[in-house]
Amino acid sequence: MIELRNVAKKFGIKAAISDLSFTVNEGEIVGFVGPNGAGKTTTMRLITGLLKPSEGTVRLFDQDPISQRLSVLPRLGYLPENNPLPLDMKVQEYLEYISSVKKEVSLDKIVRELNIADVYEKRMEQLSRGYRQRVGLAAALCGKPDILLLDEPTSGLDPIEQDVIKDLIQKLAKKRSVIFSTHILSEIEDVATRVLIINRGALLFDGPKPKGKGSVELLFKKLIKKS
Amino acid sequence: MKALYKKEVMQLLNSPVGFTVPIIFALFLGYLFTKDVFVIGSASMQSFFSVAPWLLFILIPALSMRSISEEKKTNTIEVLLTLPLSESQIVFAKCASIFSIVAITLGLTLSIPLVFGFLAKLYFPEIIVGYIGLLLLSLSYLSFSLFVSSKLSNQIAAFAVSVITLFLITTLSSDFLSSILPKVAQDFLLFASPILHLENFAKGIIDIRSTLYFVIFTLVFYLLTIKELKKRT
Repeated sequence: MIELRNVAKKFGIKAAISDLSFTVNEGEIVGFVGPNGAGKTTTMRLITGLLKPSEGTVRLFDQDPISQRLSVLPRLGYLPENNPLPLDMKVQEYLEYISSVKKEVSLDKIVRELNIADVYEKRMEQLSRGYRQRVGLAAALCGKPDILLLDEPTSGLDPIEQDVIKDLIQKLAKKRSVIFSTHILSEIEDVATRVLIINRGALLFDGPKPKGKGSVELLFKKLIKKS
Repeated sequence: MKALYKKEVMQLLNSPVGFTVPIIFALFLGYLFTKDVFVIGSASMQSFFSVAPWLLFILIPALSMRSISEEKKTNTIEVLLTLPLSESQIVFAKCASIFSIVAITLGLTLSIPLVFGFLAKLYFPEIIVGYIGLLLLSLSYLSFSLFVSSKLSNQIAAFAVSVITLFLITTLSSDFLSSILPKVAQDFLLFASPILHLENFAKGIIDIRSTLYFVIFTLVFYLLTIKELKKRT
């Protein structure tokens, strides 16, 4: 479903990503982990076609996400970093707009699934971070995407809200592939089936989630120290 | 695309600029017309058509300044560009939404000659052609302002750059510039000035060259805005 082959991304002379290769198949829940500035967001933007790779190829559903964006985007749900939302709009207005563009017919079901009916009439600026995150997730879910790309979905949330979002990701992943980036290692242990560890733009680990409590953290610390 | 258009219109009408500026604009132009009627005793739209372009180059950048620049600043552009909409559909929807507000604003001013038409002798075909000219001029200003908004991520900067540039373009035909430039440059600047082209419409003449001027001006910046949105670094 997603394939990155020898991808490099440079901003000026600074390399954000170098020689990155991995594939994501149907039904996987991939935890994309790395410290701040490791290149997680850049990778997400390369997959969505928001950025163009300096070298290598990115394929999404076996198509180019930039030149064939109109045929791949209906199958993709994306929650960008920091979940940008138009704060002057009501939740209802925003979700109706997104669902209309993505031709989603069962918005009510998504609203119920994400438990946002209580804030449906409120303006986005009145919502807590947790609710905003749920609205962002609801928008990403419109159109029944085959892949969900979530860039730091629990960033800035309190532990209770983090658990809510983690449960939601697990629930949503039953019907589709999910890639979520994070720097919170416990999230990987709770949610992911596969782990990608990245640091300074290079992939350090790609494999199934190691078994045992604290094993992801151990592996992560070992690899980061080595790199 | 219809959903994006609807959302843009709603956001414009919910913003203080989108709501108040068109009303002030319509009231001011209405005042200009009625002033001529009561003070000079003449029911003519000439002063309206000569002042309107000077107000439009403030009204239109004010309405379009946030259109793309705010999306960039708040990063909602990432959501927009990952929706199944082409860049040309995005620009069209944004352009159409602002143009709708401008057209409604100009439509509000049309009520004045309609009312006075019962009291005085007004030549309506000439007025209609004048309004067509104003709509074409608005489209040109709008496509330019939208392009500036797509280049900058600060809406105030986008407004300032649009207003200053449109002011310079509008004053190309001024006597001051004409007097200090060589004849060839004068002729070119006169041709490039939208005011000169609007004058034909204000006289009730649909001039093909002037129509083409507005259409080409609009298309150039419209396509440049699409190109800007298509740009992937």
